[in-house]
Amino acid sequence: MSQIRSLVWAALMVAGSICAYAPARAQSLDEVHKAALKEGGTLNFYGTLAQVNAEKILPIFEKRFPGIKVNHVDATSDLLVARAVSEARGGKTLGDVLQIPLENVTQAHDQGLLLEINLPEAVEYPAGLKGSFWTSSDLQYFIAAWNTNLVKKEEEPKTYDDFLQPRWKGRLIAEPRDLEMLLAFAKYRFKSDEKAIDYWKKIAAQNVEFHKGHSQLAELLLAGQAAACLTCYSHHYPSRIKKGAPVNYMLSEGVASINGTAIFKNAPHPNSALLFARWVASLEGQKAMAQGGRNPAHPKVDPVDKTKTEKAYFITVADLKEFPKYEKIWKEIFKLR
Amino acid sequence: MATATIARGATTSASKFGDPALLVPIIGAGVLIYLAVLPLFMLVVGSFQAEVAPREFVYTLKNYHNAYASEHTYSTFMNSLIFASGSAMMTFFFGTMLAWLTERTNTPLRALFVPIAVVPLILPGVLESIAWIFLLSPKFGYLNVWLMHLFGLSSPPFNVFSLPGMIWVHSVGQVPLAFLMMTAAFKSMDPSLEESAMMSGANTWQTFKRVTLRLLMPTAGSVLLILFVRTLESFETPALIGIPARIYVYTSEIFLAFNEYPPDYGRGGALAVGLLLLSAVGVWLYTRATKEGKKFQTVTGKAFRPRQFDLGPWRWVGFSFLMIYFLFVVLLPFLVLFWASFLPFFAAPSWSALDKLSLDNYRYLGGFRPFWQAMKNSIILSTLTATIAMVLTSLVAWIVYKSKLRGAWILDFLAFVPITIPGIVMGMALILLYVAFPVPIYGTIWMLLIAYVTRFIPYGMRSSSGSILQIHSELEEAAAASGASWWETFKRVTLPLLRPGFVAGWIYICIVSFREFSTSVLLATGESRVLSILLFTMFEQGQVTIVAAIGILMIVTLLSVVAIFYKLTGKVGIQT
Repeated sequence: MSQIRSLVWAALMVAGSICAYAPARAQSLDEVHKAALKEGGTLNFYGTLAQVNAEKILPIFEKRFPGIKVNHVDATSDLLVARAVSEARGGKTLGDVLQIPLENVTQAHDQGLLLEINLPEAVEYPAGLKGSFWTSSDLQYFIAAWNTNLVKKEEEPKTYDDFLQPRWKGRLIAEPRDLEMLLAFAKYRFKSDEKAIDYWKKIAAQNVEFHKGHSQLAELLLAGQAAACLTCYSHHYPSRIKKGAPVNYMLSEGVASINGTAIFKNAPHPNSALLFARWVASLEGQKAMAQGGRNPAHPKVDPVDKTKTEKAYFITVADLKEFPKYEKIWKEIFKLR
Repeated sequence: MATATIARGATTSASKFGDPALLVPIIGAGVLIYLAVLPLFMLVVGSFQAEVAPREFVYTLKNYHNAYASEHTYSTFMNSLIFASGSAMMTFFFGTMLAWLTERTNTPLRALFVPIAVVPLILPGVLESIAWIFLLSPKFGYLNVWLMHLFGLSSPPFNVFSLPGMIWVHSVGQVPLAFLMMTAAFKSMDPSLEESAMMSGANTWQTFKRVTLRLLMPTAGSVLLILFVRTLESFETPALIGIPARIYVYTSEIFLAFNEYPPDYGRGGALAVGLLLLSAVGVWLYTRATKEGKKFQTVTGKAFRPRQFDLGPWRWVGFSFLMIYFLFVVLLPFLVLFWASFLPFFAAPSWSALDKLSLDNYRYLGGFRPFWQAMKNSIILSTLTATIAMVLTSLVAWIVYKSKLRGAWILDFLAFVPITIPGIVMGMALILLYVAFPVPIYGTIWMLLIAYVTRFIPYGMRSSSGSILQIHSELEEAAAASGASWWETFKRVTLPLLRPGFVAGWIYICIVSFREFSTSVLLATGESRVLSILLFTMFEQGQVTIVAAIGILMIVTLLSVVAIFYKLTGKVGIQT
């Protein structure tokens, strides 16, 4: 009897918790939209999305949810986190949504700035592409690219090993902060720290020139600043090639890293924030990301252009903890400050 | 608010004219303290604070230790010193040569070069840097590529990403200021001393060396000093060329301390306080030097026209110098931006690049919302800043010079304080002040407005006090005696007399606000972004050809502002 009673209790509790949870779950994007409209119609979006992508993606959102205007605060990811931290220091939260590389999302989380939330849309994502306070918005692939005026057809690199040949000496550029390359090579390409360090030391001996910012790196490559770029983003090239730029890129192998979306704790427009975060994670939002030239994270949405590499070395959430270790080695190899 | 009080105090009795209630200067002082002193106070306090846990602070000297006893202290100090003194000297050289050739010699077509020498003043520093990167970047810079082709060189002759590169780029942007200051000096020089030398048998060169140069010494010293301080405070070249080249100076260290993760406000604050002190010492020395200079005054009420040196055949050398300067320093940066603005991506001028030219970048900007938002912000800010600063300083200058109130000099001093505050330091101080401020202006253009007005008050004071001093009190007294109230007198006598100075000051402040970068870089975000910051972020994102198009539109806007006012007033005066 008591067994039956406890079973009934358990059943009731489960039912109760489902009911309590149900409204949040069942709330459609349109319902969130209605709530968001009551917040003043603005969304402060702290995101690294480049203007070329943002100008395509954000209007789709604004058109889909009339009355919500996106105020895009764009800067490099460390600058955006620094900004959010300064604001928090002054006791303010101005940002609603943060969308930057995962590594920087966790920095903001360490500072206690982000909301713990599971978006209903995240169900569709594999475990590696979501966490307790973030969902992946898109992926980026670090690849090699080259200027076709400076690299002959027969000299085009097939894999990263080709860059060890002497003909690349003094002709390479890279981003100084891309320690992901070292980490991914150590863990997934060579499966050995030693071999990876050895590889990048040989690359360092080729006198790599460093420039900050991947977009600028791409632009420098087009302008002929160097023959090839070792740590460029694949999604930067299709649009430039369409414009007739003398450039090509390698899709045989590359390093994949995650960009994440998160919502600020105490966001001034919480429902607008929720709306945007859920929309970006949803199928329609991910399609918009693809149309805007990004690499969607959603397993069911493909990028519009060829930007995924055949072999991809994925940087996982667990790898983030090892960033300091590899950053130190990376800086030592290339004598970076 | 101040106006209303003056009016009330004054209208009660016409005889009280010139002796308004004590309230006015107090309110004036209050406004100035709020604008100029409060942020500095916050900055100094912040520089002694350390965050031990999120949002928990203790007082400490650690920040100063971190800022001034780190492994980078020495290199930052040396870089700043070389950058500032190198720029000051190069700017001074060009400015003096231009001023001398156009003002005091018989160089052909010299009059034509006077306006041309001033034109670069409207080219924002960010654009100047970008244009020179296009020209002197080691691999793709047009000048490098062209010279390598021409002489068959194996390596590029110039590298803009170096200290000499930074000095060059910053200097050529500052030349108009040095030119204006030196022109004023040459104009006001009594020629009788030079004539005596000539009559005693000295030739042109000897006269120049022994008389002209020596007469110029006091001015030259103070001009060099002010150029040094201005370079130290600048952030355009350090941001666009210094940071990529990993050549850090004080302003870039401050910027990075604030903008890298984790942000280190304490260290940034300590560095900012140091820079502030350096700049204050520089300004103090400058004012002292210019006061001293009056002892050797050659500007008198006597009417004279400085004589012209006959350069003989050398005048063609002078002409070539002016031509080369005009072609390479003034025209080339404009041309390279103009050319790049029609390209889909950066490419050197060539026949093959020719068919890539299109209006696409401009068409793109037509529908590019952030551009229009930034344009709107820049226009609103520059016109409002100019208006508020000029109205405020006209009143302050009137109190200082006309009211005969005791303690009015305090206002004069307070209005001068902001000149010692480097732009980036102002930005930092305002963030510390307003991020926790109850009034929600943080992150809006109103914070930028406060920053700009504060920074440019000294410029406004310059032109306002100049014109106020010229108005003899007789005129105002006559109006008052005829029964005009204080306000009527101010409106119908003082203001019309002030107008030329007001307009000149207004245009100058409008221009400097429109191109402002070093304060905005920390304050302008998202919706409050201004054009110079949009240029900077888009350049960082690699959209260089669109940046060039924005730059061209920005130059056109500034030129039309100047043209409109030139039409309206018939003359444009610019002071430094």
